[in-house]
Amino acid sequence: MFPWFKKKGSASTAKDRLTIAIMSDRDNNNSYPFMAQMKAEIIEVVKKYIGVKTINITKDVEGDFEALSIEVQLDKNA
Amino acid sequence: MGNVIAVISGKGGVGKTTTTANIGLGIALNNKRCVVVDFDIGQRNLDMILGLENRVVYDIVQVMDGEASLSQALIKSKMNDKLYFLAASQTKDKTALQSEKISKLIESLREDFDYIILDAPAGIESGYEHTIEFADAAIIVVNPEVSSIRDADRAIGILDSKSQKVKDGAEVAKYLIINRIDAKMVQSGEMLSSSDILDILGINLLGKVPEDKGIIDASNQGKPIILNPNSAAGQAYKRIASRLCGEDIDMPELETVQGSFLQKIKGIFK
Repeated sequence: MFPWFKKKGSASTAKDRLTIAIMSDRDNNNSYPFMAQMKAEIIEVVKKYIGVKTINITKDVEGDFEALSIEVQLDKNA
Repeated sequence: MGNVIAVISGKGGVGKTTTTANIGLGIALNNKRCVVVDFDIGQRNLDMILGLENRVVYDIVQVMDGEASLSQALIKSKMNDKLYFLAASQTKDKTALQSEKISKLIESLREDFDYIILDAPAGIESGYEHTIEFADAAIIVVNPEVSSIRDADRAIGILDSKSQKVKDGAEVAKYLIINRIDAKMVQSGEMLSSSDILDILGINLLGKVPEDKGIIDASNQGKPIILNPNSAAGQAYKRIASRLCGEDIDMPELETVQGSFLQKIKGIFK
């Protein structure tokens, strides 16, 4: 009702931090040491415009070609 | 053939052993034969929570090594004659556990009991892996707190790669219990809500258990809190046990504070 009287709780911070930490934990495709950092930064950028549920980055190798596939799952409720 | 359920958490101190004891007794109260097995080798605790520490003669490692028979080692609960307990070894080291021996033990428990509840050690080391190896399902216990949830996710990851059921191409069922919920803190946005936690972990919710000071008193006395009809946590465990026994029990709202009109007015100005 009076949002300026209310100290904002830290639960949402916890959720954001956990989401990123767990995503990088789950990523056993950590072929680059900067992967976790990059993921976190991509999430920050995309989040400015639209809600993000999760991001998956996979490295595909086919012959001489190497590609990073970045899959951004959107969060409709955000 | 009994149902084998491992109780896991990743992080220690979230209430895994308390949950095992209460669920075990709760299943027995539902008139099913249930055995709770302490897999925390070297750190036996389930015996105290169940009030059975003075009755332990033989432990799980002695049964697996053939030094004692299963019927010699199984301890019948004083509180319910459908509940039995198998103690962890307090002296031998964790390497005492071997897959073939565990498999054999669990198969014989399956013949005697409807439910076999395994209390896993904290952490994700070999003792943990051995606990989940032959389980049909796992109950994951978390607190609404970042380190507990992150560690639980790691434990789930190992469950998905090391369980025999998964290796056989089947799926191991996973159920989440959120323990020590403080409704006031969730409502004021200072504690992760159950829906936040479900979003992050992506597994099914089995039950929510509120923070309850009575837990200490219950463990002091060796009488699981499920026996206390006035305890909110006890009632939550009762519902969880009934759900595990196949009953359809609805999930009451534990994350909003039902206060007086005056408290609500105060709440607005917080």
